[in-house]
Amino acid sequence: MSEENWIEVGSTDSIEEEDLIRFDHQDKTFCVYKLTDGFYATDGICTHEAVHLEDGLVMDDEIECPMHQGIFNIKSGEALSPPACEDLKTYPVKVDNDKIFIKID
Amino acid sequence: MKNNIIILGGGQAGIYAAREIRQNDPKSNIKILGEENLLPYERPPLSKDFLLDKKKAEDLYFHSSDVLKNENIEFENISINKVDFENKKLFAKNDNVYSYDSLLISTGSENKKLTLDNNLKNDIYYLRNLEEAKKIKEIVSNKNKITIIGGGFIGLEIASSLSQLQKKVIVIEIGNQLMGRIIPKQIADLVQNTHIEHGNEIILNKQIEKITKKNDDYEILLNDNSLIETDFIIAGIGSTPTVKLFENTNLKLDNGIVTNQFCETSIKDVYAAGDVSNFYHPFYERNMRLESYQHAQNHGICAGKNIAGVKTEYTSIPWMWSDQFNLNLQLTGICDEYDEIIERGNDINNGVIYFFLKNNKIRGACGVGVIGKVGRDIRITSKLTEKDTIVDKQILSDQNLKLNKLIQK
Repeated sequence: MSEENWIEVGSTDSIEEEDLIRFDHQDKTFCVYKLTDGFYATDGICTHEAVHLEDGLVMDDEIECPMHQGIFNIKSGEALSPPACEDLKTYPVKVDNDKIFIKID
Repeated sequence: MKNNIIILGGGQAGIYAAREIRQNDPKSNIKILGEENLLPYERPPLSKDFLLDKKKAEDLYFHSSDVLKNENIEFENISINKVDFENKKLFAKNDNVYSYDSLLISTGSENKKLTLDNNLKNDIYYLRNLEEAKKIKEIVSNKNKITIIGGGFIGLEIASSLSQLQKKVIVIEIGNQLMGRIIPKQIADLVQNTHIEHGNEIILNKQIEKITKKNDDYEILLNDNSLIETDFIIAGIGSTPTVKLFENTNLKLDNGIVTNQFCETSIKDVYAAGDVSNFYHPFYERNMRLESYQHAQNHGICAGKNIAGVKTEYTSIPWMWSDQFNLNLQLTGICDEYDEIIERGNDINNGVIYFFLKNNKIRGACGVGVIGKVGRDIRITSKLTEKDTIVDKQILSDQNLKLNKLIQK
């Protein structure tokens, strides 16, 4: 794993707890979340229909799509509630000097 | 114990019930009897992404045949024409007989048809199933000026799609606002403005007097004597529950099949779910019949649990959406029982929501905004409604304050 795969997203205070920010890199969109126990990242587009999850509801460890209420576990990406049935891809996150980085493959 | 479970109706409620039964009951035989020769599929895209060619027919199935095979759920394309509840048997048109221990009725609803004097029955198109959507899609490619009778969800979604296909669209609505059956006027007016901005013509408060065929075109005479020339007509004027099969039986019917909060009908071992069911909602303490995606799914799941012996009340707060142009409209709860209305936001680009309160608690809310802008707040509203929370009106009305602060954990 080379160092250059870690992409800086922003500072740790750019996300409120139990919330997310959208992060675009090259032609992809990601969501980066701050949960009570740390930072997490997933793909930014719902697997059900092409809708940005940035406007979705974060509650506990779950993100709910704002359009059709598909629910995913933020930590595992697992699709928890229909209409979503395909899991959401997750990405490793690290914090270094108050900056958030995600590892994009 | 191994039971024969039959699900009559191969739509969304039926498939979700089947899979839920299987999760709780690995042994019983589960068979779905569907009138369409298609595995259960999603209907919302028919009026939108399917017409716009963004989704193909094969993208619409809820689950592949492999999923059904793996879960040992049988699907049979058959039309039933008689039910004998006493002996627990269903009779098909081809003389097949199906015996059941438990029956779920999920026959859905069907389109109301226009009553016209002259014989134009085959000239007016309706949209409910994939076959009808395919026909409309094929024919409109050669048409330019299309009239939609009925300004409800389906008519307006088709109007939005056809406008995006560069067609001239006219919508004729009998009421004094669009989507008047369930959507508050404030929200309907915002949606109407968007249609007009995109070039669609919206005619309110007008009734159809007569439709006349002129060669390949039509003339529609309205009750104010105005005349509309058009080359294609689609009607979306509401639907009725599909209950004809049960009309001369003991099954209790009243605007659909009457069920309690456990999806149980008036007949033992017979359940109903989805559009066809007029169910008791314990939270609102009244019966209601809903025609929506979320309801078909969740009511089917609830029926599945109850059929499998996991006694479960249906308490889901109603929720539905419509997508038109770049707008996403969402409704939660019920918006017709209130003593106060609170507005949140006034710009469709950031989302506008109206909350309907009774005794300082939210009973329902309806919002519209550019896609993605109202979903989160509407979802939080569902949770606040479900928890019967007394809400801080200041937070509700100020879009700069986040609604999730209102949720008590």
